[in-house]
Amino acid sequence: MAKLEKKDIRKCYVNWMTFALGCQNMERMMAPAFARMMGLVVDKLYDKKEDKIKCMQRHTQFFNTEEAMGAIIPGVILGMEEKRAEGEDIPDELIQSTKTALMGPFAGIGDSLIGGTLRPILCSIAMGLAAGGNLAGPAFYCVAWLGIIIPLTWILFSRGYKFGINATDMVFAGGRKDAITRGANLIGLIVVGAISAQYVTANTGWAYVSGDMEITLQGILDSILPCLLPLLLTLLAWYLLDKKGMKIGKVFVVFIVIAVAASLTGLLII
Amino acid sequence: MTIFQALLIALLGYLGSIYGTFLFGTVGGWNLIGRPIVAGAVIGFIMGDVRNGIIIGAAIQALYVGLVTPGMSVPGDVNFASYIGIPLALASGASAEYAVAISVPLSLLGVAAIYSVATFNAVFVHLQERWIAEGKLKQAARIPIYSNISEFIVRFIPIFAACYFGAEFVPKLIALIPESLADIFQVLGGILPAVGFGLLIKYTLKSNRQLLYLLIGFIMIAVLHMPIVAVTIVALFIAFIDYQITSGRNAD
Repeated sequence: MAKLEKKDIRKCYVNWMTFALGCQNMERMMAPAFARMMGLVVDKLYDKKEDKIKCMQRHTQFFNTEEAMGAIIPGVILGMEEKRAEGEDIPDELIQSTKTALMGPFAGIGDSLIGGTLRPILCSIAMGLAAGGNLAGPAFYCVAWLGIIIPLTWILFSRGYKFGINATDMVFAGGRKDAITRGANLIGLIVVGAISAQYVTANTGWAYVSGDMEITLQGILDSILPCLLPLLLTLLAWYLLDKKGMKIGKVFVVFIVIAVAASLTGLLII
Repeated sequence: MTIFQALLIALLGYLGSIYGTFLFGTVGGWNLIGRPIVAGAVIGFIMGDVRNGIIIGAAIQALYVGLVTPGMSVPGDVNFASYIGIPLALASGASAEYAVAISVPLSLLGVAAIYSVATFNAVFVHLQERWIAEGKLKQAARIPIYSNISEFIVRFIPIFAACYFGAEFVPKLIALIPESLADIFQVLGGILPAVGFGLLIKYTLKSNRQLLYLLIGFIMIAVLHMPIVAVTIVALFIAFIDYQITSGRNAD
């Protein structure tokens, strides 16, 4: 018996679209909105308090995508979480890896299709219609944007939900759980590496100047491996969290100290 | 401009900002009333000059028509440019060109606002985590509602002040931010995602040797500049090969 009704799915969709960027932050990006969405249905999914807590904790991890095309991801995860609550033995890491593996591609697709294609096209048409201060321009944009984006995001979210349920059934029926989990894990790791190169930015401003000659440290680093500093910072964060067992709040403070010191000394520039 | 008009414009400016959440997220906010051309019509309506509002809005829109904001790399922010630039141009009877000219420094100010809010909001992330651990699940789920106060402060107050106190206020506001502080925020904003990824790696990594997979993904972007969809296809391929090897089958 399915634990979630149609109206729960709709509620999750509305809340995802509304709050996706409501607590956007540099550390986990859209994670608070994801945790909120799970928090809305967690009472229906689980009876025991500790199961509810664990369910929400699963979704406080870093999550970032383009909110419209990426609406498919919270849909898929909702389906998987429902199956898990019904007793399927879905490991935490499969849920986490699925989110990680999907968020990058859908951010890429969404940024180019919505922000890079749909919105500019609609804006251009609207600008043409608005010549001389004609209200038809803005009116066209409003109708066209809402008429496309609301059905599109709802279809992505609700299809994602059904897909999450079906995909889960398929994986478990075939007895391929371990292989799929391992595969999703590897894909997740590769994608995390890729998006950390994309999102973490750190450039050094140190240079050695002698007469006409100027050797910049950044130039040397780039010739070794581009984005070396972002990679080292990411590994530092992982090292402190995993190997040193530091609490996230402490690591946060370490990074603030690094930012202040490095910015004032010119070690890191923007 | 009357205080009522300034309050209304400031409220809409907040709702139409990138993290202003209460108009169905970006669907009705950032991507609808946040667009300069729509903002121009709305502000024009409030100030009683729809025609010129649309003309100025369309001129600013032309400047930012191709603006995409992927992840946190924000090249410009149309919010202040629209909700401060359009009212000031309308109130002073200035041309659309004037509005376009001041929209450039205003959009940079908007970027500073985006970085400060997104950096500060990490506080709410930790609050949410604590509440979940303490079992206060209802409150934890409400974090994205509460946290929008930071966006409200950063958008509503400057827009209201600029609209109400007039044109001489805006350059002063920009000069108010010390450069070194702005630099620190940008540097911090650049390196802070590393903490989020560090945590993600902690939960995904099974053995230290698997860091190699991370490195492969990293190199595909940092060195090869591949699009993320292509990276994922390569990742799928690697996972497939891994499956072939670990399941002891011959490649087919």
